[in-house]
Amino acid sequence: MNDLELFPYPKNRLQKTDLDLAASLQDLVQKEIVDKRLELKEDYRGLLEPNLNKLLVEVGLQRMFWPEKLGGEEHNGPEAAYTVAAALEQVGRADTGLAYLAAHNLALQASLAMRENLNQEACGRFAPLFCDGRGPVIVSFVLPVFGEDEKAPAWRGKSFQVRARAASGSWVLNGKGVRPTCSGADAHLFGAWCAVEGEEQPAFILVPGDAPGLSRGPEFKKTGLAASRNADLDLSGVEVPAENCLFRGDLEYRRLLSWFYLGVSAAAVGGLLAAYQILKEWGDNRVIKGTGNVFKENPLTGALMGEIAQDISMSRLLAYDLAGMLADPTTFGDAGSDMVYTAALMIVHHVLATAERALHRTMELMASAGYAKEWQLERYWRDLKTVQCYVGSHELAKHDFARWFYGARTL
Amino acid sequence: MRTIDDFTRPLEYISPMDGLLGSIFRDWVEKEVMPYRRQFDEDYRDHRLIHPPFKKLLGEYGLQRMIFPEDLGGWGMGRSNYMCTAAFRMFEEIARADTGMALAFGALFWPFLFIALEPHENRRLLEEFAPMFCETTEPVFAALCMTEPQGGSDIENIEIVKGSTIRTTAVLDGDEWVINGHKLWPSNTGGLARLMAVVCTTNPGSDDPRDIAVIYVTSDTPGVTQGPPYEKAGMAADMNSDVWFENVRVPSWYRACGPGDDAKYFGEIMSTGNMGIIAWISGAMMNIYERLTEFVNRKKYRGLPLKENDAVAGVLADFAANIEAIRIVGYQCARMCDRHDLYGPLWDPGLVAKMRAQRYLAMDRFIEVTGRVMNLMECFGTDRDWDVEKHWRDLKILQLVEGSKQLCQIETARWFYECRTL
Repeated sequence: MNDLELFPYPKNRLQKTDLDLAASLQDLVQKEIVDKRLELKEDYRGLLEPNLNKLLVEVGLQRMFWPEKLGGEEHNGPEAAYTVAAALEQVGRADTGLAYLAAHNLALQASLAMRENLNQEACGRFAPLFCDGRGPVIVSFVLPVFGEDEKAPAWRGKSFQVRARAASGSWVLNGKGVRPTCSGADAHLFGAWCAVEGEEQPAFILVPGDAPGLSRGPEFKKTGLAASRNADLDLSGVEVPAENCLFRGDLEYRRLLSWFYLGVSAAAVGGLLAAYQILKEWGDNRVIKGTGNVFKENPLTGALMGEIAQDISMSRLLAYDLAGMLADPTTFGDAGSDMVYTAALMIVHHVLATAERALHRTMELMASAGYAKEWQLERYWRDLKTVQCYVGSHELAKHDFARWFYGARTL
Repeated sequence: MRTIDDFTRPLEYISPMDGLLGSIFRDWVEKEVMPYRRQFDEDYRDHRLIHPPFKKLLGEYGLQRMIFPEDLGGWGMGRSNYMCTAAFRMFEEIARADTGMALAFGALFWPFLFIALEPHENRRLLEEFAPMFCETTEPVFAALCMTEPQGGSDIENIEIVKGSTIRTTAVLDGDEWVINGHKLWPSNTGGLARLMAVVCTTNPGSDDPRDIAVIYVTSDTPGVTQGPPYEKAGMAADMNSDVWFENVRVPSWYRACGPGDDAKYFGEIMSTGNMGIIAWISGAMMNIYERLTEFVNRKKYRGLPLKENDAVAGVLADFAANIEAIRIVGYQCARMCDRHDLYGPLWDPGLVAKMRAQRYLAMDRFIEVTGRVMNLMECFGTDRDWDVEKHWRDLKILQLVEGSKQLCQIETARWFYECRTL
């Protein structure tokens, strides 16, 4: 049995195309990333960028949702949620950062090109960029953050980073020291959830990476996610066409985030599966205490390994549960509904917190091999913690939970 | 305005040198380490940035001399009953800036615990090695070579394994030891170490503690090879590598204490090492407190600093409460290591177990609350410029040195519950 199949997931709900895609991705990332990473480590130019191209362009993840007539695959029904989960856990197993980038790309596609909510005009304008085969489209989001240096409009416990003003046939955007969710140094497209001057309702506006007035700071160092070359942005009177505003409503914004959280959850599960494979090899071969017993046969370490496997299993099931909710809006409601959004937020936080714990424990079991770069484990630990921080403060997410479950009004 | 000095230290038993040492180290850290530490990760191989502050601290200030007797040019700390409480303060101050430096500094003295402490001071070896450390203003590093490829924590687990897994051999040939073996991970290797204490067996496979030998080897002895530094998740200032010993010949009197005693006094490394780890946790948490305070004062929501948000305050309180507890426990551990008259000798298995217990408890607390702090800071929590993530990475590594958490648990259970087979 493929060792990844040891961890249960609702295989019966996946289509054959999903399983085939997952299988081919498993082979591809093994050959192109896992087998080369000892030599290439986290080299962006040598390992990560070429594979981003392979995944998004050659495999075609960035064409997945767009209509066929625009060059896409038109796999744009809600059942695509299972495809996203199956694909991104395989990518995440090889490199969590690449999966994190792909999660942005797929979430944007889902918010524009989903069959039930197809935005014809936006698809016509943006699909060619994703489908022309000329290279990967790196998508980044600019979302409200917790705490700002300067007074900024508030949004449910957070602060907007970008202000937008409607002008004649265009939007004018301003923001200083803006921290995107990824790839500030090289993203091709930023999706910013902006405060709108003089209006209550925010706007989600797409900003091309080469828009005049958008400047990028130097790439900064961070804990992990080498695939995401992040940098802060300044937006100084950035003007984009009025049509770049994709939506104004809460429902659409939450729909985007629900799909994003699905991708991130699957990416995290992939990281956990990678950690499992590394620990499995360790537990099979490492002899302790001079007794001749391998690691997994010791009652203390064996129990801890069991607990880690339990964490991985539960995380995988939760990620697929989220896929199931998104795949069946008739039963659960729209992806942007309060209930589905809250569930998505709970699941992504739970999976990432579980991943943090499981990776900590895996490192503890492997001791120095856990933190030596040679064994490859520590990169998942750094990557997953970085993803967790970028997804946002758990303290604030808990307020969202309280809003839904207890009807809190002022948090 | 509150500072890190407002966290409690048990004033009734801190070292008389505490104030002086504290101010020296604080000043050194601010001027020589803080401005450069964010670039240390990329400096792991060459130590171009890490070496200059060590030169000042160890060589010019002379800290590398401190464990040697005063009549040999040292400061006599090895004979002080404030050695550990003084060390705790020094360790805290260094770790506030960089835990890798703090570990490298502490590990420099591990090889000398076998020969510089009462009642097993080895005068002849102290006289032999004191000039190397006391008659220079250049930094000189020493390393304790324990871990081996096949064993990992086994070697540190002397009480139960009794050296039976050690494969580095020492054979007496006339008046010389001939050493052969391969060690992994010693702090201060990768070309840094001038002197090494090597844990060997004189009878491979034996579980007789008298066959465990700690033997000194200078790095320029023929047959000694230090490999290139390992690349790790952090702790760049703590340089580690493979070390190979091929027919390395040293005088027979280079053995630390002798049959039985080398194994017995190995416990001193465990007690003081675990005490040191608590100090490094405490120091790192002090700095996180400083950076976190700046963050929650500077970052605002609806015009108010984040710290004024009740949910944030809950996280901040947990972090401060853990610093308080860890620091007080840490100083208590240091005092227990100093007061042999009250708590028993440093090598006592009970003391070792208690240090192990406090160390892994403190580390667990650190990991939990620092993880929450990083998450509270959102994307800035993983940003190198905010320093928290560096401590998070470094201390995870620190959790796993000198035996993993599971070894700490086993030793704690073995002593408190009198387990016989663990």
